[in-house]
Amino acid sequence: MQHQNPPYSVLDLLGTDRVTPATRKALLTRLSEPPVTNPQFFTEAEFGRLQRVCARLMPQAETDSIDLAGPIDGRLAGKNTNGWRYDDLPNDGDAYRLFLAGIDQTAQVLFNLSFDTITPDEQDAVLRAVQQGEPSGDLWVGFAADRFFEELLAEVVEVYYSHPVAQQRIGYTGMADQRVV
Amino acid sequence: MKTHPTEDILDAVVIGTGAGGAPLLARLAMAGLNVVALEAGKFWKATDDFATDERTQDFLFWNDERLTAGSDPIAFGRNNSGTGVGGSTLHYTAYTPRVQPDDLRLRTDFGVGEDWPLDYHRDIEPYYDELESFLGVSGPAAYPWGPARKTSYRYAPLPINGAGRLMEKGCRDLGILTSPAANAALSAPQFQEGYGWRSACTNRGFCQAGCNNGAKASMDVTFIPLAIQHGAEVRAECLVTHFERDSQGRITGVVYVQHGKQQRQRCRHVFLCAGSVETPRLLLLNNLANRSQQVGRNLMAHTALQIWGEFDEPVYPWQGIPGALISEDTHRPTHRAGGPADFVGGYLLQSIGVMPVTYASQMARGRGLWGATMHEAMGRYNHVAGINILGDCLPYAHNYLELSDEKDGRGLPKPRVFFSLGENEERLTSHANGLMRAIWEAAGARNIWAFPRSAHVIGTARMGTDPDRAVVNANGQSFDVPNLYICDNSIFPSALSVNPALTIMALSLRTADKFLMS
Ligand SMILES: Cc1cc2nc3c(=O)[nH]c(=O)nc-3n(C[C@H](O)[C@H](O)[C@H](O)COP(=O)(O)OP(=O)(O)OC[C@H]3O[C@@H](n4cnc5c(N)ncnc54)[C@H](O)[C@@H]3O)c2cc1C
Ligand code: SF4
Repeated sequence: MQHQNPPYSVLDLLGTDRVTPATRKALLTRLSEPPVTNPQFFTEAEFGRLQRVCARLMPQAETDSIDLAGPIDGRLAGKNTNGWRYDDLPNDGDAYRLFLAGIDQTAQVLFNLSFDTITPDEQDAVLRAVQQGEPSGDLWVGFAADRFFEELLAEVVEVYYSHPVAQQRIGYTGMADQRVV
Repeated sequence: MKTHPTEDILDAVVIGTGAGGAPLLARLAMAGLNVVALEAGKFWKATDDFATDERTQDFLFWNDERLTAGSDPIAFGRNNSGTGVGGSTLHYTAYTPRVQPDDLRLRTDFGVGEDWPLDYHRDIEPYYDELESFLGVSGPAAYPWGPARKTSYRYAPLPINGAGRLMEKGCRDLGILTSPAANAALSAPQFQEGYGWRSACTNRGFCQAGCNNGAKASMDVTFIPLAIQHGAEVRAECLVTHFERDSQGRITGVVYVQHGKQQRQRCRHVFLCAGSVETPRLLLLNNLANRSQQVGRNLMAHTALQIWGEFDEPVYPWQGIPGALISEDTHRPTHRAGGPADFVGGYLLQSIGVMPVTYASQMARGRGLWGATMHEAMGRYNHVAGINILGDCLPYAHNYLELSDEKDGRGLPKPRVFFSLGENEERLTSHANGLMRAIWEAAGARNIWAFPRSAHVIGTARMGTDPDRAVVNANGQSFDVPNLYICDNSIFPSALSVNPALTIMALSLRTADKFLMS
């Protein structure tokens, strides 16, 4: 297992009786899940672009490599929702697809290049325009870009901070809720 | 558990097993009636099934998609309602303040909103007394606000969490009175009929993702086992979709889907307790009990602004019962608490804990942080503390629930909910914003930020005395369909300036008693 960080290992913590069996099972499963390489919902190209977006929204050390795009693909493939949707957005799957096409168009307008080939700073500029609800390009017409960005960002950080390695980074040990006497 | 064939004509079917359904289910069973509860969600065994992990626990929430509209759209899913035997009490924080008598007469006192057709001392207080003892509420020996209590809370208050200690300090500086809050979580073990021993709270702070040791008084460890002990059947994974009716319009059977198969349960009475979104959705779908045209209307949501701050000292916001401390000095604010009010009603202040994924998600939505700034802000997670209000909301014509043309995963029309704050809610929120920021500044917070939100959907099948303006009467009985009773957050005529669960349970017991007397 590559997920080892000082000063303690979350993996070791999960092995102790400070953690309930249900919690241990849930977190070990997440820790050992291999990153998604064959997307079920997105095309290869869309998925690659989503991975680039995730890398800007929640940049990570090479060693952490928490899969962010994979669980989103899995959720959309399973037709799962978080229970609500802004009425002015299309369904989650269409909204993601529109966004991924839209940022590529915005990158073309701003930098004459695909989103996939511009620099990280340039990618940030595109994403900031989406967040502010003012991305250039006709694909965005009638699409509440800022609303969608909020949805996207919330989903990405939720996936990230659900991972035991990210939780260890912020010093969260709440999963170890059993008193040891 | 006793079971009944669907051909039996039952005395009553209860739809939904949350705060509104479970107490009356137990009451009816204890009176010897043949009752079955139909619950859309699963029957969990919390001690084995619940993980201390927010993502895993997503199964507690009603995650069928709802459409949210208006200028202040309400967040559903984990921010709003649950499913499973126990309903939203599986994930509630167990904060159980009582209403104050003037909460029930907003129209009398302010000329707007609605009065309740109930009297605090006659109709509600006796049930609070009973519930607080039965559930095992922990709270202070003497509670500083509202009418004097007949007895103290059954158990001593739970330990004050990090946010509570800071809020106490800030409020003390400003001259605002605080008290340990009433929480329906045990500070000492309690024996529960039909369940066995419930443990004392271990301060794991995970109430909103489910309690794994029975400390929290959710329905699955209190009223549900009591109901089963007395002969009720709880049929889980049964989604009610339709009602069968006779020529007089009385309900004769309830149609539901269990494991993909349609079933029909015959019965003499129905208690609809599906929560304030599903109850009006079912009524609208079936064009039932809506002669007043009030089903789905009068939709309210508690003003629930949160103020967060970072402190030098560690807070560990995941530890301890989240709503440990309360102030009701803002119930009808005066110069002492934030200055006199320029709005109708009032609010309470509560310290809040927060789990990491929830906090990160709120910073994404509320502050739009990403990249390095999100990492930095989450790096201070252990030093974060919050205060929250729970305040009034008036009913407006522009806030309502309707059926949309889109179908959800079960093939039923998705509900669409319109919600926009009115001027009253804006003023109340702005009063609270100023006050909570002052408290956090006095307590030494940095990087203070506000997360605007509303909580709980209320009033979508309201109770009243006038059949043209309300859906059910003071006993929860439909004006149009005499063998239909409704009991959940949808029957509240006004929002109330306190969290709803204890009052829903009180109405549930009262509805059962009134029904049994009739
Ligand atoms: C995160 C969170 C924290 C909260 N904390 C507090 C708190 O500290 N204090 C407080 O007072 N309140 C709190 N609440 C609110 C409280 O949980 C609810 O107000 C209360 O549980 C509502 O009770 P109810 O009976 O109206 O509905 P619910 O408890 O939601 O019960 C409705 C039940 O009906 C079932 N159902 C729905 N439709 C159907 C159908 N068609 N067929 C069959 N079954 C169906 C659902 O699955 C559900 O189990 C909180 C809410 C949330 C979201
Ligand atoms: S804080 Fe207490 S009541 Fe809440 S989940 Fe933990 S043990 Fe249960």
